[in-house]
Amino acid sequence: MRSAAIGVILGICLGLLSAGPCRAAAGEQILYEGDSIYHHITVRQNGTERCMIFGRQRDLRQTCIDLARPDASVFEYTGMMFAAFLFRPDARKVCLIGLGGGYIPTVFRLHLPQVTLQTVEVDPHVAKLATQYFGFGVPAGQSLSIDDGRQFFKRSPDRYDQIWLDAFNSDYIPAHMTTREFLTLVKSRLSKGGIVIQNVFCGNRLYDAQITTFRQVFAKVFVFEGSRSGSCIIVASDHPAAADTAGLRKQAERLGGKIGRIDLLAEVEKFKPAPAVRKAPVLTDDYNPANLLLMEKK
Amino acid sequence: MTIVYGVFILLLVTFGAVVMSLEILASNLMSPYFGGSVYIWGSIISSFMVHFSVGYVLGGWLSRRFPRISVLATLLVVCALWVIMIPAIYKPVCEAISDAVVDVRLGSLIAMNVIFLVPVSIMAMVSPYIIGITACWGQQSGFTAGMVLFISTVGSFFGTNVTAFYLISLFPVSRIIVGLGLICLVVCFVVLSLRVDRRIAIPAA
Repeated sequence: MRSAAIGVILGICLGLLSAGPCRAAAGEQILYEGDSIYHHITVRQNGTERCMIFGRQRDLRQTCIDLARPDASVFEYTGMMFAAFLFRPDARKVCLIGLGGGYIPTVFRLHLPQVTLQTVEVDPHVAKLATQYFGFGVPAGQSLSIDDGRQFFKRSPDRYDQIWLDAFNSDYIPAHMTTREFLTLVKSRLSKGGIVIQNVFCGNRLYDAQITTFRQVFAKVFVFEGSRSGSCIIVASDHPAAADTAGLRKQAERLGGKIGRIDLLAEVEKFKPAPAVRKAPVLTDDYNPANLLLMEKK
Repeated sequence: MTIVYGVFILLLVTFGAVVMSLEILASNLMSPYFGGSVYIWGSIISSFMVHFSVGYVLGGWLSRRFPRISVLATLLVVCALWVIMIPAIYKPVCEAISDAVVDVRLGSLIAMNVIFLVPVSIMAMVSPYIIGITACWGQQSGFTAGMVLFISTVGSFFGTNVTAFYLISLFPVSRIIVGLGLICLVVCFVVLSLRVDRRIAIPAA
């Protein structure tokens, strides 16, 4: 019974030991290092690229912007997520779960001003750093709520044309936002023909389980598979406007092939209309080994 | 003699393990209703600490008044039945509380106490109760208070890790909790059927 207390004390000791500042690589500058209630956060700059890093896994748990070109997608997945507009090009209301450095809201501000964007971020400190170091602001037409994503949808009855889920790390997933019950809640917050788009990593068993779970809730589930990274984007809807590569290509051309610097035609090539997955369990509030599946490579 | 110590060890290990298993599982019960923020863990850990404190005081006091394993085991039957009920009660309880209380910190704290106060407090009585009985017992033995806490903590270690590393990936949470309750119930009946109180001679208090 004491092990909880011992665990906490041990955790604090280990935390103190490992909290020393990390050494910056050559040419890198550390602008900020500190702790929020959720993460150890470092803000670094290398050339014009500025990154917010969570924990220690540099390549997998970070969000970056190019200061010279703030609307250029440094990572493959952030650009891929804009494929949402191939399915709902007419979207007027979008909800984004997970702010990070604020790259996605920046693209919306610069290139999609007609869209009302509601961003939800659980960590107030991340929002503060995004404002301070990443030029994030809440322009007219956008709003920011500091809340848990699931709590936000539970309390707010608003409906959206697109819901973007980007609250996930490579080594930890908020498990309550992977379940059938959560996706059912999200679906109830979609307008007619609305879509859900989620950023995931394709290389682990959680991916199979998530696709399986999405298929329980939505009539159509598609995937965009990253060509330069292990990222995948799940797109789900009950009434998707387009559902094949040719149709999406046409839609991309109608949008001028681009949103800002994001090449929609290149994203179309990553489209998988019927992603094959191995047999996996449906994740529910009752049965949810999400974080254990995340650790199991395929 | 051996059988008495066997019973002590069985109770300490079982309830030491079950209580920590429940603590791990509590996050799965809370997060759909109150979110996955760090506040949830704050509520879970602090609630359990309060329940432990209640159990320690009550267990110590009861062991002086009724230094009999049968009394402890009967209380543990109540605890086991409550645990078996948890999967049936937690949804309506969490639903009602999360609707009524906007603040997730307060909400999860209330929910944790409604669901876990009774069973966890009773489970926390096991160590002080056994320490109380061994203290009253005229028998000289190596079964010190430190040994009691050691055995219970070893149980807690296994309960925590087995749950977090294996059980959650193998079974639905509701089924794990019912299983834990059934294990507790079986252990209680085994302990009661062994009637070890006959073997513990307590000098007239």
